[in-house]
Amino acid sequence: MLDWIKNINKEYPEFWKLYLSKFEKKSNRFVVLSTETTGLSLEKDVILSFGSFSIINNSIVIGDSFETVIAQYKFFHENGISNEFTIETKMKKMGESEAIQSLVEFIGNSVLVGHHIDFDVEMINAALERLDCGRLKNEALDIDVMHRKLLDINNKQFSLEELCDIYKLPKSDRNSSSEDAYKIGLLFLKLKSRLGLN
Amino acid sequence: MNSIAEHIADFLKKYPPFDNLTFQELSEIATSIRVINLEKHKVLFQINDVLHDSFYVVASGVINLSVIADAEETLLNKCYEGDIFGLRPFFAKNNYMMTAKAREESIIYAIPIAVFRPFVANNSEVLDFLLHSFATNTSNPSDKENLRGKLISDNVYFSNQQSEMQYFQSLTYNIAPITATASSIVQEAAQLMTNSLSTSVLVCENNLPIGIVTNTDMCSKIATGRFPITTTLDKIMSSPVVTVIENVSLAEAQLLMLKYNVTHLCVTQDGTDKSAVKGVISEHDLIVAQASNPGVLIKEIKRSQTPKDLKGIRERLTELIQKSISKNIPLSHVNNLASEINLAIIKRSVELSILDLGSPPARYAWLSIGSQGRKEQLLTTDQDSMLIFEDVTAEKYRDVKDYFLKLGKRTTAILEKVGYGYCTYGHMASNMLWCKSLTDWTNQYNSWMNTPGENSNQLSSIFFDFEIVIGENKIEEVIENVVFNNIKNNTLLFDFLGNEALRKNSPLTFFKKFNVEEKGPNKDKFDIKTRALMPLIDGARLFSLSYNLRGVNNTYLRFKQLAITDPRNSEIYLNCAKAFLTLSKFRTMEGLKNDNSGQYINMQELSKANKEILKNALAPMDELEDLIKNKFQLTQFS
Repeated sequence: MLDWIKNINKEYPEFWKLYLSKFEKKSNRFVVLSTETTGLSLEKDVILSFGSFSIINNSIVIGDSFETVIAQYKFFHENGISNEFTIETKMKKMGESEAIQSLVEFIGNSVLVGHHIDFDVEMINAALERLDCGRLKNEALDIDVMHRKLLDINNKQFSLEELCDIYKLPKSDRNSSSEDAYKIGLLFLKLKSRLGLN
Repeated sequence: MNSIAEHIADFLKKYPPFDNLTFQELSEIATSIRVINLEKHKVLFQINDVLHDSFYVVASGVINLSVIADAEETLLNKCYEGDIFGLRPFFAKNNYMMTAKAREESIIYAIPIAVFRPFVANNSEVLDFLLHSFATNTSNPSDKENLRGKLISDNVYFSNQQSEMQYFQSLTYNIAPITATASSIVQEAAQLMTNSLSTSVLVCENNLPIGIVTNTDMCSKIATGRFPITTTLDKIMSSPVVTVIENVSLAEAQLLMLKYNVTHLCVTQDGTDKSAVKGVISEHDLIVAQASNPGVLIKEIKRSQTPKDLKGIRERLTELIQKSISKNIPLSHVNNLASEINLAIIKRSVELSILDLGSPPARYAWLSIGSQGRKEQLLTTDQDSMLIFEDVTAEKYRDVKDYFLKLGKRTTAILEKVGYGYCTYGHMASNMLWCKSLTDWTNQYNSWMNTPGENSNQLSSIFFDFEIVIGENKIEEVIENVVFNNIKNNTLLFDFLGNEALRKNSPLTFFKKFNVEEKGPNKDKFDIKTRALMPLIDGARLFSLSYNLRGVNNTYLRFKQLAITDPRNSEIYLNCAKAFLTLSKFRTMEGLKNDNSGQYINMQELSKANKEILKNALAPMDELEDLIKNKFQLTQFS
């Protein structure tokens, strides 16, 4: 009678099964994640790029990173947007399915950290659905929530720029998912020590 | 491809030694970097920590590098953006020699040594830079200035703190300089200088200085034959003359001489050459001033033959202390210095007694206890001492004990003549109770510490503050070991000492007024010793015993050390250390003013501001008291 559950399991791609198996152990690795999307709609919009670093032992490990630009030629074409940036950029380019698969492999069972991470996770979940996979199982921490918890503020949200100002992070004129992820990582370290999390 | 690694490489490229590497190499290095965020006051590594596998570059913020000596943290260097530090793992195997601590919230890059080493090996400029940084060992401030931003020394250097003291001394100089007019003949002036053994003559007009002729001028302008000896002074004088105001300090005078490259300074009424001449400072005066420094006092002590000589030196010490306090030299420095001199005086007193009595029949140790043992005796308060002699055979015992008692009597008598009064409780080596063999002393400490409160020889906590003056160091070590062996798990003793520390009367009344004496000769005065200083001293002793801090006897240093050992309560300890200095200063000033022990502060003479300062210094006592109550279950004796 429960065969249908097994059947669903069988439909999952290999990489997703591997991902699920990683959750047997608990991780002490955090992964800071920043995504760039075309908009805020889970149905209509798509992810343009990922920037991601791991944090181990309270330090950002620069080498342990994942970043890519996703080539969304189909989406651009349908919406009449120019493809120029995607074509010109010197960054690594991947198709959506390949990018999502690499990302899932990269994050494994780590705790995700981001700014308004729920949205990032939902965007990824939407993309995962297109690949016939389940939803992400990782725990996720939102630096905005951490910041509000620290100051006991409930009625206001803070943008990443505002947080950078508050914690006096050096500004940079460059703007990319990686850059954002790096800032989020630093903010996370600061908030983590202030909140006394270990 | 890693865009953040490239940003970091861009950052590193700006600073040595990374500017010697190509962008490609730097990107490669940056890929293996870890980024660390340090909260303010967070320690990255400290002395004796095992070496990390990385060295560090400051990305933002400030890191302080410091060493700790005598429980005092001495800042070696500050690292700003782009500075590298923590190079020790490159060149040495032993543990860190310094502490790196964030002065403000900082972000630093940790570069793994293993990754960087190949670049060092392949690039001699990088190697040179690192070697140079590591080995830079300069105490020359101008050197340090030049190196700023390029090199961060990883080695330890000290300047002797005591030498700073002398620079605040005021100068004595010739207040009746010989003067001459511009038209005086050189030969006459030279004769005048020779007659009065002076090295200079001031050239004045209407008593205003217009120039100076010194030995150097005579040598370079007359003896060389450039001018005949019949010429007039205005031809050879140095003009204008460098003038200073009266009461110039040694440091200032030295600076001016260096700045203007002269050997003489003219003292005038208002410090300009438009006012009347008051005197001349020569280089020789500076040398003389430097000679009346603490080191010279100690040398004189070693040479003195009679109690009277020592008394004279002790009086000069008092003067020095007074001067130092009025010049706002940190009291901890003054304490260090005074204790060294006190120690030397006591040592010499023992030596003088031995010269009289003949050499001792057995090995011994003369220990200072109480305030002398704690090295915080600024005033001539009473003397406390004990004497331990080695165990001898039964038939010799009588003679030996007899000799050391005599030694004790004679020495304490000398010290009394010098100005240290006898201890009212008889805690002196002249008392047969406190002059005994090593075995007797060991038993004494054992019984004190294991059955406190039951003993006929009431345990006085001052016996835990001892410092060897003269004799065998090994004997002191033995007693120290006895003390620290007995301390382990000895709740009873801590209970007893804790209660001792708390039993003192509180310094402030319920209404936050000073609790002054109600009767007796010191009516309406504040007993700063028992009400304020003793609780701090007792508390410091109690905690340092319980944390096993050996070799730190000084209350101030004990608190400082405790702040390091027990970081959770460091704030309380540091406040106490500060309060102790403030209170000691009050006591010392009162004592100097009235030539007594300064135990009682006359509140009427205290200004309102000083009263506030005094009251604030009493605040940390409450916190300390709570800490004692929390840490030690005080039940048995309360």
